[in-house]
Amino acid sequence: MATLNYPKIRRAGRWIDVRRRKLGMWAYALNRITGIGLVVYLYLHLGVLSLLARGQSSWDSFVSLARSPYYLALDVLLLAGILIHGLNGLRVALTGFGIGVSAQKALFGILMLVAAVALVAAALKIFGG
Amino acid sequence: MENPFAQEPKATSAWLWQVFTGVGLVILLGLHFIANHFIAKGGLRNFADVVAYLRNPIILVLELMFLVFVTTHALLGVRAILLDLGFSERTENRLSRVLGGVGVLTVSYGLWLTWVIIH
Repeated sequence: MATLNYPKIRRAGRWIDVRRRKLGMWAYALNRITGIGLVVYLYLHLGVLSLLARGQSSWDSFVSLARSPYYLALDVLLLAGILIHGLNGLRVALTGFGIGVSAQKALFGILMLVAAVALVAAALKIFGG
Repeated sequence: MENPFAQEPKATSAWLWQVFTGVGLVILLGLHFIANHFIAKGGLRNFADVVAYLRNPIILVLELMFLVFVTTHALLGVRAILLDLGFSERTENRLSRVLGGVGVLTVSYGLWLTWVIIH
């Protein structure tokens, strides 16, 4: 009979506890947390797109709702996740191939700065219309 | 001294696929976002515009590539997190097959939905 193996779960979940950890562990945890969030969003998004199969009125009603400020705020949150995961993921890929390993902490800082600037620009565009 | 960056994944074939799909997604997701949320009036296309958009064969290919890349990348990520639980090799193989099945179902659903929309 399958039983929960608590030591394994504790070990597996160790990455999420970033208290007293260095920047690298924060970057690693951030990539996984945003990744999990984006997987959840992917399946929610695919579910919402099923409205298209129900025809014009279902989809167009949703579009009206999705233009409300609350939905737009969620769009900004989604973009934050995409930018952080995407740019941090590029750093992980580069360092995985041995590129920029010695400068990866600086690279992480620069990429997160780029993410912040892009997010502010996108948020202004989203709320500005 | 512990190097936290050293805990990042080693180059297995699954990791290489994740990198490949991840780099592809930077391009495909960028195009998807620009086309669907920044160019489209009001940030979203209405039903008639979605149908016209997906009937463009170049767009259709790009959107279907996006579906395959995002599903593969997402499920490989889920697999990496689950494998941290330290399962036996047999369970790992079973998990990979289950996630592969979820991926096939996800892409099949996307293909079906696209077919329904453009017809």
